Amino acid sequence: MRPLKRTTAIALGVFAFSAAPALAIDCPIKLGGIAPLSAPGSVTGGEAQRDAMRIAVEEINAAGGVLGCQVELVVGDTEGLPEKGTALFEKLIGQDNVAAIGGGYHSSVGIAAKEVAHDKGVPVVFASTWNDQITASKLPEVFRVAPLSSEASAIYWKFAAGVPGTEKVVIVTENTDYGIPAAEETQKGLESAGLAATTFAVDIGTQDFSGIVQRVKAENPNVIIVLLTGEASLNFEQQAAENGIGPGDLPFVCDIIAAESASYWQNVPDGNYCFVGQFGLPEALYNDAAKAFAAKYKERTGKEAVESYAIEAFDSIGVLAAAIEKAGSTEGKDIIAALETIEHDGALGKVSFPYGQGNDTGAAGVEDKFWHQYLDPALMIFQYQEEGQKAGNAPIVFPDTYKTGEPQYVNQ
Amino acid sequence: MEFPLIFWSVVLWMIAWGVIGGVVTPRVFLRKDMDISNAPLAGAFVGAASGPLGLIPLWHFAPQTTNRWVLLSAVGTVLILVTAFAVADPDNVCVTNGDLVASQITNGLVMGTIYGLMAMGLTLIFSILRVVNFAHGEFYMIGGMMVYYVSAVWLPGTPPVVAVLAACAITFVIGGLFERIFLTPMYDGRVERPIEYAVLVTFGLAFFLQYFVQALAGASPVKARRFFDFPIIRLPSAEDPWLIKTSKANLTLFDTVSISNPRFTAAVIAILVLLVLLFFLYRTWYGKALRAVSQDRQAAAVTGIDPHRMNMLAFALGGMLAGLSGAVLVQAFSWVPQVGMLPALRSFVIVVLGGLGSLPGAFVGGLIVGLVEAAGTGCIPDPQRAASYIPAYGMIILTLTLLLKPTGLFGRKE
Repeated sequence: MRPLKRTTAIALGVFAFSAAPALAIDCPIKLGGIAPLSAPGSVTGGEAQRDAMRIAVEEINAAGGVLGCQVELVVGDTEGLPEKGTALFEKLIGQDNVAAIGGGYHSSVGIAAKEVAHDKGVPVVFASTWNDQITASKLPEVFRVAPLSSEASAIYWKFAAGVPGTEKVVIVTENTDYGIPAAEETQKGLESAGLAATTFAVDIGTQDFSGIVQRVKAENPNVIIVLLTGEASLNFEQQAAENGIGPGDLPFVCDIIAAESASYWQNVPDGNYCFVGQFGLPEALYNDAAKAFAAKYKERTGKEAVESYAIEAFDSIGVLAAAIEKAGSTEGKDIIAALETIEHDGALGKVSFPYGQGNDTGAAGVEDKFWHQYLDPALMIFQYQEEGQKAGNAPIVFPDTYKTGEPQYVNQ
Repeated sequence: MEFPLIFWSVVLWMIAWGVIGGVVTPRVFLRKDMDISNAPLAGAFVGAASGPLGLIPLWHFAPQTTNRWVLLSAVGTVLILVTAFAVADPDNVCVTNGDLVASQITNGLVMGTIYGLMAMGLTLIFSILRVVNFAHGEFYMIGGMMVYYVSAVWLPGTPPVVAVLAACAITFVIGGLFERIFLTPMYDGRVERPIEYAVLVTFGLAFFLQYFVQALAGASPVKARRFFDFPIIRLPSAEDPWLIKTSKANLTLFDTVSISNPRFTAAVIAILVLLVLLFFLYRTWYGKALRAVSQDRQAAAVTGIDPHRMNMLAFALGGMLAGLSGAVLVQAFSWVPQVGMLPALRSFVIVVLGGLGSLPGAFVGGLIVGLVEAAGTGCIPDPQRAASYIPAYGMIILTLTLLLKPTGLFGRKE
């Protein structure tokens, strides 16, 4: 009996050892969700992201959770400020013990907070932070489902360059890690197309644009592109309209926050004919996951359309949960390894990150900004063509691939 | 800038002679046994404007440096600075575009009037209670929120004037109640360090109001509709409306000055309120009592005025003035619970610039800050920096003023 007992003991020990990672998982599995929920951050965008992430977690839990555990979302407010963002990451990782972090809106927060994620070895999938440097720094823990700033800028300047009769474009941007590079890339693109461009920069959270509006007016532009975020963009758009250089007076590209129709029309009542960037497919081309999410999101928020940053936030949580399931672990390095090879059927489409530690950008001959970057975000521009119009009803006017209506140029 | 050497040489020359004038003039006046309260400021401006040509006669004749002296020499300094700027940067938009300059000046005056109104509330409280109200920005925020909720949510269609009056009433009541509940321990010795207590308790009120409103109303931006649309006016004729041209959201005067509807309305209301406030302070018993308490509490008490009641009235009135500023601007700006932070900071700058406790100082300080911000935003050559420095423009003026006249422009020594 003794040999048998020894064999049994060894077998039990091996079993226990091999099962240790699964047994070590603490339920519920906590995921961090970051969003700007108070000023000077973009609260409209932050609240949309928070709602989207909550829906994602509800769906995951309704489907049985992850690794047999329920998922708990710990939402934190970045206020759109880098220092608040880093403090929040410290709290989520050190105090709340989250396995990974999703969401995020402001690039300046992403730039600062990614270092905390790197130091602690906790993976983060940024939802709507565009600055190229976030992924170009090639940190193992940092992933992104949002478009690159350089790609988003390209859609703006290509659109502006195609407006008939355009010679001069004014860009109004913010002094942040999103605004400055985005404006530089947009201006560079416009100049490469033979157009003159001037950039005006303001602090995040600026309210009174009277002086800047007069200077923009003095430049006599043919097109204005707004790269401000949050309520600052709404303030500028309405104040420009009140001074005769608004969306009703010349081709005017508003910030993506204008996609939230109710808030836009309340804050920019004179903002008809605004062109608005949209990142993500139009509703007519939604896949099943996006349709299901959109239905829940509209029911939850009472909105008529789904903003791109909400879909991105939804998928940032979804892909993290899928990666944890695939890894069979909540350890940071395991989740990262799973994210690098994942193909997640999200609302954005098939979410994957082709370039990373297993397929380095240098070896693949692509720019470093594509490191852990979702490569397939659809980029387009729609236009409000009736006062009070819902974003979902507004026609997509650029590029031709997605076009559902013709642009109306008010100064032609 | 085409000739930066010219501009910066002039600036350095003005700074050098300004410093000499500011330092030497009070010593000369002191040696001649004269009043030196305005001497550093007048000496600095005369030195900056005219260098040794003005300073030597000033020191020799040593005239009484009245406010008029200071004003004239300040205007001279600004004119020389403007001329140097125009020569050094002849292609600058502020030099080549008169319409822009006129619009910026008008905007500066319009916003300065509203800044002044808000700052008057802060300085009124300080002059009576000797308390700096760190929750002033939150009264501003509540004023705007009240107008939005009354006119757009609770009672849609309510006339704007009713919503503004409701905002005034609420902020007045909050101010009065807060003073009764939290500031009275300062007067009867229940707290050992009343000044520090006041700082902490008003800070506490600021955080409470901000997060209380955020909890109730959310943090998404809201905005009240324009109080009214301009009627369409074309004068003298529809074909050539060089005198007045309006759209529903804008007013253009002389084909040059452009004022948006919400700012025009806000400025008109602010001016009316200022007139009412002046009438109240100078023509009514309560107003005179407030002024008496601000000048000498004990003497006022001897004449039968209850200083404690005046404390409550001053805090309520001060909060109401901030609330009113917010109430008229909620149609111009998007409104969030944190909207009061920058205006409050600006109010602190203005009241120190104008002289703590001085109502005329707060108004003039508001105009100066409004004009300086407009000039800086309009004329700084680099468009990427012009608007980024907005909060700094007021600080520069404040620093210069405190260096040359520590009591502020209209302040008096205790």
